Amino acid sequence: MACSPTRNPFSHTESPAVGVSIEHLSKKFGSMQVLKDISFSVDPGEIFVLMGPSGSGKSVLLKHIVGLEQPTAGRVLVDGRDASLEDTREHVHMALVFQAGALFNSLSVYDNLALYPREHQVADEAGIREKVMRALQILSLENAAQKSPSELSGGMKKRVAIARALVMEPQLMLYDEPTSELDPVMSATISEIIATLKDEYHVTTIVVSHDRELALGIADRVGILMGGELVSLGTPAELKTPKDPRVAEFLYPKIDLKNPRFKKLET
Amino acid sequence: MNNAQQTARVGLFFLLGLALTWVTFETLSDGKVFKDRGYILIAGFESLKELKQGDEVRMAGVKIGSVEQTRLAGSRRAEAVLRIDPKVEIRSDATASIVMAGLIGTNYIGIDLGTPTAAALKDGSEIRTKVTPDINAIMSELGNLGQKLEGALNSITGAVNGDGKTPGLFQKIDKVVSDNSEKLTVTMTNLQDVTAKLNKGEGTLGRLINDPKLHDELVATVTEIKTAATDARTFVTNAQAIIDQVKSGKGALGALVFDEKTGTDIKNTVANLRAVSDKISRGEGTFGKLLNDDTIYRDAQTLMKKANTAIDGLGDSGPITALGVVANSLF
Amino acid sequence: MNQITAILEGIGSTIQLLFRAASYTPSLWRQRARFIDQCYQIGYTTLPIVAILSFFIGSVLALQAGYSMSNFGAKQFIGSLVGLSMARELGPVMAAILLAGRVGSAIAAELASMKVYQEVDALVTMNIPPAKILVLPRLAAVLVMMPVLAIIADLVGWFGGAIISKYTQSIAIEPEAYFSVLRRFMVFKDVLNGLIKAEVFGFAIVLVCCNIGLNTRGGPREIGASVTKAVVVSLILILVLDYFVTKALM
Repeated sequence: MACSPTRNPFSHTESPAVGVSIEHLSKKFGSMQVLKDISFSVDPGEIFVLMGPSGSGKSVLLKHIVGLEQPTAGRVLVDGRDASLEDTREHVHMALVFQAGALFNSLSVYDNLALYPREHQVADEAGIREKVMRALQILSLENAAQKSPSELSGGMKKRVAIARALVMEPQLMLYDEPTSELDPVMSATISEIIATLKDEYHVTTIVVSHDRELALGIADRVGILMGGELVSLGTPAELKTPKDPRVAEFLYPKIDLKNPRFKKLET
Repeated sequence: MNNAQQTARVGLFFLLGLALTWVTFETLSDGKVFKDRGYILIAGFESLKELKQGDEVRMAGVKIGSVEQTRLAGSRRAEAVLRIDPKVEIRSDATASIVMAGLIGTNYIGIDLGTPTAAALKDGSEIRTKVTPDINAIMSELGNLGQKLEGALNSITGAVNGDGKTPGLFQKIDKVVSDNSEKLTVTMTNLQDVTAKLNKGEGTLGRLINDPKLHDELVATVTEIKTAATDARTFVTNAQAIIDQVKSGKGALGALVFDEKTGTDIKNTVANLRAVSDKISRGEGTFGKLLNDDTIYRDAQTLMKKANTAIDGLGDSGPITALGVVANSLF
Repeated sequence: MNQITAILEGIGSTIQLLFRAASYTPSLWRQRARFIDQCYQIGYTTLPIVAILSFFIGSVLALQAGYSMSNFGAKQFIGSLVGLSMARELGPVMAAILLAGRVGSAIAAELASMKVYQEVDALVTMNIPPAKILVLPRLAAVLVMMPVLAIIADLVGWFGGAIISKYTQSIAIEPEAYFSVLRRFMVFKDVLNGLIKAEVFGFAIVLVCCNIGLNTRGGPREIGASVTKAVVVSLILILVLDYFVTKALM
């Protein structure tokens, strides 16, 4: 594998970033086809941004990668292991940053971050404290350590969620809509954090988002998902001049007051 | 609230639960905490019947203790351990028995007063016991009796009515009668014929019955037979004389038949003849009876009457009636 | 048909959850802080309401028994009636019903909101099984706390009956007589039966409420639906189990 070893900030043992490959993945919820025969792969250490309108199946695809959903057909391989098996999570450290953060409301920020190392006994309490504080430092959250998640603002919640993922020393970082519901400055900040973490720790990163700025700004490659199908896959440069009209429409929508889109929607 | 405080409360709470459980256990099973002290007596019985732990011990109807334990002692004995109020003394000649307080199975141990002069029983000693009739035994006896009665009744009913597979007595009779009703009718008709003939004096028997002349003739015949008998006697006497002569060897015949055997034969013949005639005159034997007795006549008359009744009854025809008539008149 | 499938699915997933949680039993010692916390929630904070309710249940039993038993001159047996009813039936059942209402609903609500707000998913991605850290400590806690609640319910009920028997004019039985009859007609096995019942009820309630909470799907609205479902299923389960456990312990 042509990747440099991860310089993980929390571990002296160096775990390499992992690749992800998705092979003919299909998913049905009842009779509804959410994903249709999707295949692509993400190289180790790459930032892959998956874009698409709401309801296109991006988050479902992400859940398949992390093993929260079982594919109807096809498979997802993470570092060569089937992601749907529980066993895979034992071998590959994957961290998913949920859209709403999914912080444990009953625990303080500190305990949220400390939960993983405590449960997996990666260090003694002092070692855990060191790891947690380092992660908080990276995301400038030192002062929030003893707060409860309900006291945090949206942007802070996302940062805590990222910090919590970071403590897991992941080989694969997954972000679900990391910039949604945030003001443009905060969105830019989060994008910078994602890029920084990838640059500094060489972690494979998959971001699900419909934030064009983020995708064009930090992605190595961008995939566009529409109606459960992968309609475009390419570098940000290629996306600046999209060939597919649907992709152009999605990425660069023109606000046309004379001919509004909602009038064209099927009733 | 900090963690230590919470842990302490949970611990305290749990200990409280343990303590309460222990107290309940002690109170309900051993009685060491709350129950009165007392001394122990052992009462051995063949069977403790319905007696159970906690039942009362009464002396002359007054509660003086309770059954602390019931246990088996050896293979042929059960023991009740009684805890007796220490204020009560039980005489050594007092007897204990298991008494039933009600039909629903509440029992107690009753102890009689004994004689006041006898020594008091000590802790751990054994009290005399006696067996009282057990309601269960009585009940089961009654039950058995009932069962037997029922069995007997059932077999009677079965015999009379049949048990569904084999027909009963009445069914059998009924069947015979109804199957043979034609034959019976014929029989009856014949009987009627016979009796009609008898009445009209037809046939031998009819004449015998209806004809006074015949009767006279019979009498005459008998008289003749009697005469014949007398003659026979005379003949025998004569024969005797001849035999005497023969015996004495007189005449050729005497010589010819002078033989013991022949003589005896003749003697026997004569004796038989006499016996016959005697019997006849005394009215013995069939013929004698016919001659001397009116029973036959009366029997014949009864038979006729019965036959009449039967025939009358048959007019109603139904097999059951026929059965009834036949049964009534023939048996 | 869908209903039946849903019921069977519920039973199946509950049993699966039980086995999954049981498989993490060795980790219980490391989770002792969570265990103590759940003990506190399940046992200690439920005590006041259990005590109040049991007191009045015992009182009402004594009143009703006094009313009906004096008709045939058996009111001196009130002690045994209240004692046996509380220990064998009402103590454990009442404690279980309160547990379902107070603890079961809370468990279902907490786990349902964790599920809806993806905290459960987060745990899964962190390779921390929910059965291990959410279910196991609760099950262990209820096993330890439920007998305590039940014995307290029994005793408080007995005393409630005793007090009412003394101070109600139509009954007027001295506590000595009340408890003497109670002792005469009861053995510890009666109480033990009740404690076993309570244990079974409590365990079933917590397990079912955990399962219903963890199986919540959809948005925040479903949290409320899950709580209702958890309490209803718990109540049904208590009465159904009551029959079978009583039968089994006869």
